[in-house]
Order: sequence, then C-alpha cells, then structure tokens
Amino acid sequence: MIRRLMPVALAGAVLAALAFPAPADPPLRTPDGQPDLQGIYTNATVVPLERPANLKGKEFYTEAEAAENAKKVLGISSWERLGSQAEVHYNMSQFGLDLSQVKVALSLRTSMVVGPEGRVPPLTPEAQKRQAERGARNRGHQFDSAENRPLQERCIMFSTEGPPMLPAGYNSNLQIVQGRGYVAIVQELIHSTRIIPTDGSPHLAPGVRQWMGDSRGHWEGDTLVVDTRNFNDKTAFRGSTANLHLVERFTRVDRDTVLYEFTADDPATWVRPWTAQLALAKIEGPILEYACHEGNLGLPHTLNGAREAEKAAEEAKKAPK
Amino acid sequence: MQSRWMAVFAIAGLIGSAPPARAHHAFAAEFDVNRPIKLRGIVTKMDWINPHSWIYLDVKGKDGKTVTWMIEGGSPNVLVRMGFSKDALPPGSEIVVEGFQAKDGSTRGVGKSLAFADGRKLFLGGSAPGANGETEK
Repeated sequence: MIRRLMPVALAGAVLAALAFPAPADPPLRTPDGQPDLQGIYTNATVVPLERPANLKGKEFYTEAEAAENAKKVLGISSWERLGSQAEVHYNMSQFGLDLSQVKVALSLRTSMVVGPEGRVPPLTPEAQKRQAERGARNRGHQFDSAENRPLQERCIMFSTEGPPMLPAGYNSNLQIVQGRGYVAIVQELIHSTRIIPTDGSPHLAPGVRQWMGDSRGHWEGDTLVVDTRNFNDKTAFRGSTANLHLVERFTRVDRDTVLYEFTADDPATWVRPWTAQLALAKIEGPILEYACHEGNLGLPHTLNGAREAEKAAEEAKKAPK
Repeated sequence: MQSRWMAVFAIAGLIGSAPPARAHHAFAAEFDVNRPIKLRGIVTKMDWINPHSWIYLDVKGKDGKTVTWMIEGGSPNVLVRMGFSKDALPPGSEIVVEGFQAKDGSTRGVGKSLAFADGRKLFLGGSAPGANGETEK
C-alpha cells in the first residue's frame, strides 16, 4: 500500500497556527512534565529564506495569497529549479524528488527572515574580504583532491544541516527526542544527531570547536531555547566565522506543528543579528538511515572525471597543430 | 547556458519564490553532457544506497558482447516512502535508459529517463500509484 502524499491541502490549520502562534491548549507534556516537542517533522517549504524584491515591505500573505503562492511554487518542476544542473541530472520527479511530491509545512510568511526587510543583513567589509579570499584559495583547485570538494559531497555535513536547520531540498525530515536533561535532534540529511543538554550545564571551553557547535538548551515557558557556540571554522553558515552565536527557539503551536526560530549573530560577518522563522510539520515516520559514505560513488566519479579532462588537455597540447 | 539561467530567474521573480533544488553533488562534474547514452538492457541488480541508488544493467552490444552499465538515480529513502520496494525492479527486467555517461569514460551514467521495455516509466511514471506526482484521491 502506498502511503498517501499530502502536498498542499494541510494548509488551513497550519496557516492559522502560524499566523497566531500560541501554546497548544492544553500544552502537550512528556511523562516527566516537560513541554513535549517529540515527533518526526518535515521542514520542506515553499517559503524562501529571503523575501523576493517584488514583495518588499510585505511580511505576510493572506491565507488566499499563501495558498496561491504555494500552488505556483509547487507547480514549478525541479527541472526549472535545477537551473544549469538540469542538463545532466536524473529526472527528479521520476525519483520522487519534486517539492510537489512531499508534504510541505505552510506558513503565511513571505520569507523565513523576519522583519520589514526580510533579507539577511549585508556582510561586513571584513566578511566580504574573507569570502573573496576563501573563493580565491580554491579557485582552479576545486578538483585537486577530495579535500577540495564541498563538505556535503564528502558526506561530512549537508549544506543545510546547520545549526541553524534549513530545508534540504529532499529528505527534509528530522526527529526530536527528549529525555531527562537532554533533547536530541536527528536530521535525515546527512546523518548527525545533535545532543542538547538541558540540565543547566555550561558550554564547553572556548578552545573546543565542533562541526555543529556546542548546544545548550533551557526552557522558557513552553519554548525550548537552544544556545549554540563553539563552531569550527569549516562550516561557515552563509560566510560566518567560528564565533557565530546562534539562538534557536522551538515552540509547539499545535499537535502537528512546531514553530522553529533562530537568531544568528556574528559581528565579524553581518552588520546586525538577524532572525528567521519556519514551521516544522509533523509527518509519519520513520526517519530513514542516510549512510552517505557507504554509497558515495559521486566523489570518485567527479575526481576521475577531472583527471580524464586533464589528460585530454595534455594530449591536445601535444597534438600537432 | 546564460539564457537558461535568465529563464529560471525570471520565473523565480514572477512567482515570488522558488526554493532552489539541491543535489548532493555537482552532476555536471560527474557526467558528460557531450556523451549522451541510450541503452536497452537487462537489470541484474539495484543498489539501494544513499546518497544515490544505482541500477546495474547488462547491455548487449552490436558485436554480441555484453557490457555491464551502472546507472545513477535518486535517494532510496524517497523511493521507499513512495512505496517502492526491492521488488519494484526485479532482476531480469528489460529497461531503456536515456542519459549521460560518466566523464571518466567508465560504463557508468546518469539516467535522465528510465522506462520498461513496454514504455512504462520506472518508479513514478506509471509503475505505481503516485505516478507523475499525482496524489491518491
């Protein structure tokens, strides 16, 4: 039996909840009395991170506009969204990878970034310089070795994994589990589990740096607040430094929805802190294993392809003109 | 290429928002747009592995020799959720694959379009409910 797919129709309840977020009544509790965030969710969405220019100043859609926008976005095929990659990509819809083929969490927001601008603030001059230098360092060496390839191609971190957690494009699924003194979050892409102490323990010493930073949580009313520092300098969320300070807030607004909000602050990167908000919509489980390393034939193919291209270029040089 | 990008941006501008589709890796780095392939062969197995599924295909050439091809497809996690199982593509199935060969010249490729010999598309294209993104009513 094929499980039913639920694209857009879920709208009403979620839209209403997100328009007027309020704690569920009565609040859901774990057996030991914590607000209950547990479940399997998707953060797939039709809402872009940044507000499109034509919606300047408009932070929220009406319900009718939101439904209309969702219909339009879901009507765009993956071929169009793939852009230049479409040329040699496998057929997305044939493999169930169109956004229209999964459940999406709807919202009245016109962008995930909140506020009148709805845009990520400008990079500081220092960050612009840093980004240019990063780009220049790898230019012409992108295919030298596995270490020159992006983290997600190497199955280390997915580009949307964060924190902060953003939709992955496909398999945008995550699970929240709570125990006494801990909250754990596993994202299907790529494989890491964040284990977040909520026992009041302090952050790790500043010298200890981790791929996903060091997260510590506490409850403010029914909202889980997670403070993350101690990032390494390799993940660079939108150009951030290892000093990125992230505060995430998880609030269950109804039985099927968690409102997820994050504020990113890194004075060496952005001219001011910024906040984004998205919905996590409950889905039927389970989360599936994503053993990325085991099947990662793409990386050797990419490097071998580059070696072949180099050989061909050498041959072409030698060939009589 | 330029014009294709322009078209995509234009569409994104018109509708207000279109989240980008993300792939696990750069397909253009792995597969060669100048080496299109069209293969008809017999499936010997399918690897249900992430980040990509791989279909193994025995293809008989004009010289009578059989060559094994490997064809890259989407994440098996998605296929499982759509209701497919290991039995969806049993060994012995005859399929036709259109796509592009790997840049390293190996007998590996990406399948842009995969169909059974009788024309039914593999996976969503009619071999199961949910075909072409339609939902069950």
